[in-house]
Amino acid sequence: MKRLKLPVNIILGICIEVAYALAIILTAFLICLMFYFKR
Amino acid sequence: MILKPQLKDAKIIGYYLGKVILGLAFTMLLPALLAVAKAEIGPALDFFTSFEISLILGLLLTWACFVEVELNWMQGMIVVSLSWLVAMALGAIPLYLSGHWKSFLDACFDSMSGFATTGLTLAQDLDHLSFAHNLWRHLIMFIGGQGIVIIAISFFVKGFSGAFKMYVGEARDEKILPNVLQTSRFIWLVSITYLVLGTLALGAAGISGGMRPFNAFFHGACVFMAAFDTGGFAPQSQNILYYHSMIFEIITVAIMVLGAINFKLHYHIWMGNRKEIIRNIEMVTLFITIGATFLITAAGLAQANVYPGAVALFRKGFYQLISGHTGTGFQTIYAAQFNLEWSHLALTGVISAMALGGAVCSTTGAIKMLRVGIIFKALAEDIKRIILPEKAIVVQKFHHIKTMFLDDKQVRAALFITLAYIALYGLGTLVGVYYGYPFLNSLFESTSAAANVGLSCGITQAGMPAALKVTYIFQMWAGRLEFMSVFTLIGFFIAVVKGK
Repeated sequence: MKRLKLPVNIILGICIEVAYALAIILTAFLICLMFYFKR
Repeated sequence: MILKPQLKDAKIIGYYLGKVILGLAFTMLLPALLAVAKAEIGPALDFFTSFEISLILGLLLTWACFVEVELNWMQGMIVVSLSWLVAMALGAIPLYLSGHWKSFLDACFDSMSGFATTGLTLAQDLDHLSFAHNLWRHLIMFIGGQGIVIIAISFFVKGFSGAFKMYVGEARDEKILPNVLQTSRFIWLVSITYLVLGTLALGAAGISGGMRPFNAFFHGACVFMAAFDTGGFAPQSQNILYYHSMIFEIITVAIMVLGAINFKLHYHIWMGNRKEIIRNIEMVTLFITIGATFLITAAGLAQANVYPGAVALFRKGFYQLISGHTGTGFQTIYAAQFNLEWSHLALTGVISAMALGGAVCSTTGAIKMLRVGIIFKALAEDIKRIILPEKAIVVQKFHHIKTMFLDDKQVRAALFITLAYIALYGLGTLVGVYYGYPFLNSLFESTSAAANVGLSCGITQAGMPAALKVTYIFQMWAGRLEFMSVFTLIGFFIAVVKGK
């Protein structure tokens, strides 16, 4: 728990998790574009 | 031979149940205080009345059943399963007193839906519900998402051994830190950190969309609690469609995905083990299954030509899909649109996503990614055994915090829970079909209830048969607790009747 208190690790951890969520959003948007251009 | 439970068992169960009820009682003070601050007299009385009833019941149980004995496994499981039923009944009192629910059963339905982080609702005239009641609806999602007994463990339960049995009974078989008390507190640390960040982001989005600051941050906090705990309630009857904001939708998608991540994974990433996010079997499986189920949904929507533009397909098609996959249940379309506009293929994509769910030890329901990943690994191992020469030694590994060898015990456990969920999805579907609803709609609503999602294609309304309401309540309860504590409770009652 001691290392956890380091705010840098927490902030970077949050950034990585948000980046994962954004990667899913971006992939989904690319699938949407694929269906749009296939029409 | 089944042993008949003793009076001592009932006392221990009663004592710990009393502790959980006390924890729940004190959470009712939050909406009561908001009601006082906003001069909502009626709602304040509803919450003080409910607080008093819960407090008296909790004190009575802890006084009458006072013991200084730690729980055994059976007692721990029964405390958990009973806690959720008692929480449903007590949590329904302020809802019923508000007059926005037609019957106490309807209030119980919403209460269980909230605690189990489902999001199906039978509320009437939701747009005119008080601030306090709205806060309570979202707060019970926040409490239920972390786990009702987590509150009791954090503040009221002293012994670590008994606390651990209650923790496991609440479908959290993964201990994050060696001590279960530290584990509970870490779960709260993650949730509160994201609560602050998420409320600020959603509040800012609300203000930029023209909402008044208090309303924007109140809605932000409520929507955050429902999104991170993959619940699905929203302060307005139109759900997320009310905000008409793409930024709001993208923020909620990000929060839903964060809520679907394993708390143990949060811990390791926050500890600096950041590569885990691309190596972990759950995260990889989640990415693949979201992509696969969205391809099915998008193909179905494209086939029916429902949303001609890419942005519309993203905001309507993907939003319902990710909401279903993470077990949240937020909607940016009306329930009737699922029936009137969406093709059967698109609905099948969403049903598959709902049935799969998020990560274990997260706030989501359903089969969950670790089990799906393990089953696929086992399938791959069997295929390799057939393809490779007979003498070849086939070993399958997977990475979940550490690299592990796949063994039969893990595969059996994953398959058992998966089968139990499929049976639970089937139960609600059968009852729905019995009452005359179409098969696909019944399957959709049943999966939504049992997987604790909350998307609705229109079956869930105050006018539906009472037996269907009770079935959905059972599905939400059993689905949230992942069966073991429910089976233990059933076994306990059988032992009371048939035991020697």
